[in-house]
Amino acid sequence: MAVQIMLGPQSPHANLKHAIDSLSVKGPIVSITAGWRDSEAETEELQSSVGSPVEDLNLYQLAEEIFSREPQLHALQRERQDKLLELQRLYRIRLTPAMAAARKLMREKGESDLLRLEQRAAISQVRALDRHHLQRIAAIHQDFDRRRATLLIPGADNLRQTLQQKMADSDLVLIAGGHVAVLINRIRLFRLGDVLLQKTIIAWSAGAMVLGERIVLFHDDAPQGKRDAEVLDAGLGIVKNIIPLPQAESRLDWSNRNRMALFSRRFAPAKCCTLDSGSMIRLENDRMTAANQSSMIMRTGRKKAVTVR
Amino acid sequence: MNPAVESLYREGSPNPEAVDNFVQQNQFPLVEPGRVTFVYRGKADEVHLRSWIAGLNTAQPLEPLQGSDLWALTMELPEKSRFEYKFEVVTNGARKLVLDDLNGVFAHDPFGANSVCQGYGYERPGWSQHDPAARSGTLTTLKIAGDAFMETRDVEIYLPAGFRRSRTYPLLVVHDGLDYLRYADLKYVLDNLIHRLEIPAMIVALTQPSDRLVEYTCDQRHARFLSEELLPAIAAKFPLLDDSNARGLVGASLGGVAALHAASCYPRNFGQLLLQSGSFAFSDLGRHKKEPVFDPVVRFVNEYRNHPFVLADKIYLSCGIYESLIYENRSLVPLLQGQGMQIFFEEARDAHNWENWRDRLRQGLSWLFPGPLWMVYE
Repeated sequence: MAVQIMLGPQSPHANLKHAIDSLSVKGPIVSITAGWRDSEAETEELQSSVGSPVEDLNLYQLAEEIFSREPQLHALQRERQDKLLELQRLYRIRLTPAMAAARKLMREKGESDLLRLEQRAAISQVRALDRHHLQRIAAIHQDFDRRRATLLIPGADNLRQTLQQKMADSDLVLIAGGHVAVLINRIRLFRLGDVLLQKTIIAWSAGAMVLGERIVLFHDDAPQGKRDAEVLDAGLGIVKNIIPLPQAESRLDWSNRNRMALFSRRFAPAKCCTLDSGSMIRLENDRMTAANQSSMIMRTGRKKAVTVR
Repeated sequence: MNPAVESLYREGSPNPEAVDNFVQQNQFPLVEPGRVTFVYRGKADEVHLRSWIAGLNTAQPLEPLQGSDLWALTMELPEKSRFEYKFEVVTNGARKLVLDDLNGVFAHDPFGANSVCQGYGYERPGWSQHDPAARSGTLTTLKIAGDAFMETRDVEIYLPAGFRRSRTYPLLVVHDGLDYLRYADLKYVLDNLIHRLEIPAMIVALTQPSDRLVEYTCDQRHARFLSEELLPAIAAKFPLLDDSNARGLVGASLGGVAALHAASCYPRNFGQLLLQSGSFAFSDLGRHKKEPVFDPVVRFVNEYRNHPFVLADKIYLSCGIYESLIYENRSLVPLLQGQGMQIFFEEARDAHNWENWRDRLRQGLSWLFPGPLWMVYE
């Protein structure tokens, strides 16, 4: 039975070892630290906190090496990334006014049906835009996959199979945080999603984000000020109906009840669950079986501790 | 009267020992919420504060404090304000501009140094100072041989820490780049903001003019140099993102004019502009009152005001409210916005100086080039 455990940042409160100890891991442990990008190889701290050998799959570096050897694949990858970047920019152009309208309506005072219907319609428009964005992203990925299949790159294919086998042979997969776009990109590039579906996983921060069905970017305290949360991409869909929100305590403006309420209603029925340092959510067969120090954003914009029924 | 000065005079005129203690025990200027007291010690016939704050007298007199060699001036100063000053000391008819010996805070620019008055609540931003945790980028010199100026020019290139040829980077071209390095700590700012993921790792070209008053006053050769010589040369040598939104121009004062003018000659070649205290002189009626060197600037700004168009996608403008250029900068904002460009205008309680420009860099750069902070969840 595959178990998924989602954690918050491992600093200042590390709970990875505690999570591992809650599982009966006997076989090999592999890790994905591609989100660390240049620092991917710096796994000493991870190794010591786990307390037993961990083999890092080195996805970031391996992809860099393949790209330098295989210019066609690199060009194809570059084209996909450029399209995704451009699409995100275009999505943002539509998202900004749609969110501004929804926020303005959420700020309106009153309980009339007239207002409630307009609020609901404004949120529906944002949800429709998010859905459309995900469809457009999926089309870009499909185009990449189709064209990738026509490239004969035995070295890359062999490497992919080796990585998939290593993962299949492991007893536990650790997925660290970091750059969430790079992380999902590398997992996709080596087509590890299907293997991960069968595995017991502990993932933290960005690692937890990629397990969900949608990857949602958010930050209300960036130097350039508040920004509307954006759907970046589909996740691996291993964890259903949860939007994991790492570092939510510092990244979200909890004092703004309307803003938080809109966040919750925009992504409903998925639960927006915080993953701050020390948080833990455990799932087995799509069912939450344990939760600690995680809160859910309610429709009202308030937070409520995540509990297991 | 400032409480420290009041205390000094509580029991009448102070003796020299009490004055020594007063000088040693206080930080100068004496800052309180909403006001500041400047103190000068020494023999003189007159002492004036020269602050070059627009709207204030350029020389405000300090009054002698009875029975001592102290002089003082108290003035209103809103919180978090900052400006630079010198004392003008008149002795036997001779006038001399001097730094404030009692104040250890100085700011430097190409013309020398000034004392700095930091109003109540002002703190130098942490991100503008050396952070040992931030990995350091490197500087390398690129020689650009071109026709625009009929000479080969050295341009310093900042490469971010962890630079890799397999990646592509945004490009920022900074006018008076070496001055930005020296007086606005641009390298620390870049290292820190990149380390904190507030801006992406980027390549920065630091240009320096040979004849600033000519090249930065709407000189077509300069615009041509940037777009037709510098940009292709950097693109040939370093991996750049091939997107105008990933290219920016930065300039302060006349450098801001040079950036805006270059953008007008090659619209949208550089999608992002960061313009600080731009000397955007114009005349609505009659002749302008600035020096003749501003004639081409006035012609350019007047022409642009009459026939505005889209120059770039995003423009960040900043200006100090203690500088006269606030008028020109404020009036440019609605004009640019009216063309549909995204504009961020920031006013600061500061004046026309490098530290003002330094303190605005985080807001400007992170708005124009949002970093992966948005993407990174550790």
